[in-house]
Amino acid sequence: MRAPLRKILLLLGAAVLFFAAFFLAPMLVVAIASVTDADGNVSFASYARILLDRYHWDVLWTTFRIGALTTAATMLIGYPLAWYLVRIVRFAHWRRACIIMLVVPLFTSNIVRSFGWMVLLGRNGLVNDALVGAGLIERPLRFLGTELGIEIGLVYILLPFMVLSIGNALAKVDPLLEQASADLGASPSATFRTITFPLSLPGLMAGTVMVFMLAVSAYVTPALLSGGRITVFSMLIFQQYGSLFDFHYGGALSITMLVLTLALIALAARIGEARGI
Amino acid sequence: MAAIAIRIVAYAALAYLALPLVVLLGASVTATSYLSFPPRGVTLAWYGRMLDDPSYLSAFATSSLLAAAATLAAVLLAIPAALAIARDRFPGRRLIAAILMSPLILPHVVLGTALLQYGTMIGLTRSFGALLVGHIVIIMPFVLRAVLPQLNEEQRSLEEASADLGAGPLATFFFVTLPQIRSGVVSGAMFAFISSWINVELSIFNTTAELTTIPVKLFNYVQYSVDPIIAAVSSITILAAAAAIILLDLTLGLEVLSERR
Repeated sequence: MRAPLRKILLLLGAAVLFFAAFFLAPMLVVAIASVTDADGNVSFASYARILLDRYHWDVLWTTFRIGALTTAATMLIGYPLAWYLVRIVRFAHWRRACIIMLVVPLFTSNIVRSFGWMVLLGRNGLVNDALVGAGLIERPLRFLGTELGIEIGLVYILLPFMVLSIGNALAKVDPLLEQASADLGASPSATFRTITFPLSLPGLMAGTVMVFMLAVSAYVTPALLSGGRITVFSMLIFQQYGSLFDFHYGGALSITMLVLTLALIALAARIGEARGI
Repeated sequence: MAAIAIRIVAYAALAYLALPLVVLLGASVTATSYLSFPPRGVTLAWYGRMLDDPSYLSAFATSSLLAAAATLAAVLLAIPAALAIARDRFPGRRLIAAILMSPLILPHVVLGTALLQYGTMIGLTRSFGALLVGHIVIIMPFVLRAVLPQLNEEQRSLEEASADLGAGPLATFFFVTLPQIRSGVVSGAMFAFISSWINVELSIFNTTAELTTIPVKLFNYVQYSVDPIIAAVSSITILAAAAAIILLDLTLGLEVLSERR
């Protein structure tokens, strides 16, 4: 139904104006700054500085490697946990406790959660104490300031997103389809491979895109767990805006990050579409 | 066999999820002057030290006020927008919806730096107002996303009935429409509030020594030193999160991951 323009303006006007002023305009300012120089002339020098420099490619490679490993680990841990929560737990109170354990971290700041890992992963932290105590290693390992440490923190922070996404898809799978498959003689593993898993793919896909996006753009967790030894792309952006104030170069870094993440999301969506997800 | 393997992974994953928070709660009551887990002795002295420091209280106050104001603004902007997007057909509807939702997938680092640069141009930096506009932008999509699915065409006939019986548009909204989307508004507002409360990436550019939020204060502190006071402040935020979730569960019910059978 076509509504009168006046009514639509009345309902949408405030939100659209607010977003134009404080979302679109700032993004436009960054985009313009990224393609101009200090004198206001059009210049792609900032992009050239990023794309022609080995260091930036190294940082991008580190960032995306950490993002990819983090995403893979959240999938491998998240799928069984989602399955457990949706299909296995029957005792209502324990289920509720599990859900609360899953969601409380989401409601807690990245700082607090990363801080917890700083305490755990330190030279004299619980993890090293346990490993030494169990006789698995002789001397404490270095976790803080390594990519492994950052990945442990990021997987922890992003796991709930993956579990909720997969779990919601699993919960929607019609049990009659699985019953039919079993009645027709398929083994449980064949039913899982041909029925359940394909039907849960949209959730897995959505979770993967979200986790990857959040992992490559994360700042707080890498900043706290890297101990200044590892640089990811978001740290470069922070440096420019937090202390060096080169808005042209900083803007180009921001746009580079934005374009790369959106391109990867679009690619994932295309792959999903092609597979009929 | 497979079921046992799944259980083992699930228990390990749950332990992994609980561990850092348990460690902080434990370390916040240690009687030692350094962080220690398991805690040595039990004391609430660190909580007392935190309460003695007015800067923590003012950061808690700033965070709460900011989250409350941003959530209120987000709800006031999102509900009318959701009504128009869900019910009316007009050119540009999908584009507007996509723009209003896009902060959900935009890296917060990018948005935070953009707002800093823009704020520098228009003179809106390092103030409560500067923090507020950024927070509204990132949390409004949560409200929109929660409310949109609850609006449908069937409600329209109820609203028309209300109008036919002589109720004005506002009365119709408050007595007919709002009650039907209440749970969406509440859960959306809850997520919006929390997202504002825990934000660092946006806030960090617009805080000052006097005007700072709890996450930013923790972030700046933790990078240089860690002690049981910081664990106590962190624990307060963990306990607040747990309280919020239990409250949400008791009022709306956490309808996540329930199987349809």
